[in-house]
Amino acid sequence: MSLHLPNGRWVVWLSFLVAMLFQIMPLPEGVAAWRPDWLLLVMTYWAMALPHRYNILTAWILGLLLDILLGAALGIRSLGMSIVIYGVVLHFQRLRNFPMWQQALLIAAEVGIYQLVVFWLQFVVDGAQFDLNLLFPAISSLFIWPWVFWILRRVRRQYKVR
Amino acid sequence: MKPIFVRGMSNQFRLTLAVIMSVILLVANDRLDPVRDALSSLLSPLQYVASFPGQLLDISAENFATRNMLAKQNKTLLRKQLLMSERLQRFEFLRQENERLRALLGSPVHMDAKKMVAEVMEVASDPFHQYVVLNRGKKSGVFVGQPVVDAQGVVGQVTQVSELTSRVLLLSDVSHAIPVRLTRNDARFVINGTGVLDELELRYVSKSTDILVGDLLVSSGLGKRFPEGYPVARVMSVIKDDGKSYATVTAQPLAALDRIRYLLLLWPDVYDDNDALDAEALHSQTTRKSQAELPSALNSTLPLKQSTEVSE
Repeated sequence: MSLHLPNGRWVVWLSFLVAMLFQIMPLPEGVAAWRPDWLLLVMTYWAMALPHRYNILTAWILGLLLDILLGAALGIRSLGMSIVIYGVVLHFQRLRNFPMWQQALLIAAEVGIYQLVVFWLQFVVDGAQFDLNLLFPAISSLFIWPWVFWILRRVRRQYKVR
Repeated sequence: MKPIFVRGMSNQFRLTLAVIMSVILLVANDRLDPVRDALSSLLSPLQYVASFPGQLLDISAENFATRNMLAKQNKTLLRKQLLMSERLQRFEFLRQENERLRALLGSPVHMDAKKMVAEVMEVASDPFHQYVVLNRGKKSGVFVGQPVVDAQGVVGQVTQVSELTSRVLLLSDVSHAIPVRLTRNDARFVINGTGVLDELELRYVSKSTDILVGDLLVSSGLGKRFPEGYPVARVMSVIKDDGKSYATVTAQPLAALDRIRYLLLLWPDVYDDNDALDAEALHSQTTRKSQAELPSALNSTLPLKQSTEVSE
């Protein structure tokens, strides 16, 4: 039974905090469009590793915090994140067993869908302009994902996060 | 590690809940401003932490600057200062003359507005909006709708204020518009943002309007938000297509929106003498940096009267 008790919750929230900082950190003009979706990647990892603890509602809260930090209309990113994390939680077992490259491709697709949902909501709320570079984060996330995965798995094992 | 049978709510239920809550938030968005302000005040320490690495880079770049570079920079700044103070002498004369003339005509005399220097902490990190976050908030008296300028011209207006930070919507954002006047012939226009950082557009310009490439557009003060006479943009192209009912006019903002760092917040209704700006300049946390860059930033802003005092 002790296995079902949560452990290392603070590690997970610390990783969310760090991801959030990466997400809002000022970057030089040319690089900024390529910023990977750090928060979504970290959230995806925890949803994949511990889907019964960190799932759709966690994603909703994180998205809301991100909306506040980015000054967007509240609910945009929380909706986007909840939807794509739902997909992750549904298929977490399959995702876990994929080889890394396949996993990374799927994660990139996930980031792309998230960006499109966010764009669409922005468009509805205050008429944003579509720009192809809004899909750049999907490409950069493709290459960042293996590292995020590797680091977070080490963290999870080190601190025995359950 | 994970139970085979999921306890608690099902995923579908969770998703439905999340969707409903988001939609409620989105619909009630306009009424949530107080909540949002409170929450962003709460989260503003995060913004300070996130802007720290960039500042660290700046500081180290300053510390490792060679003597040569500093000497060179100093030289150019001195030269610039000389040019500016010469211009300022003439400006002071013209200002007095203008005041006398206005007094003769019985029009209200222009007064100097209160201003404050702010530093950019964060630049829009989402591609749909163009804004910057400044390190001044409610505590310094910043308010929603406040005009913001830099050394070259109008930058935008404050749209959100938290306790320690504020968010400035840039001229180039799609949702931004500013009333302007053409200096050459006083024709009035409204400039809209396009979502592209260095392009603005003038809508509903009739084809017979006298507007040429290179014309300077200054704020007209008609919207009651931006004070009159600050430079806004320069006309880049005028296309009079017979197939369209209006001329297509684009303009380039004068403020360097892609590399803003220090900005001036204006209080158009607060007529203030030099005390506020001086105190601000002294209390600015970025002591060395701001002392190096403040005078140059201020000197080149023509409508400022007190810049001579600051630079001394």
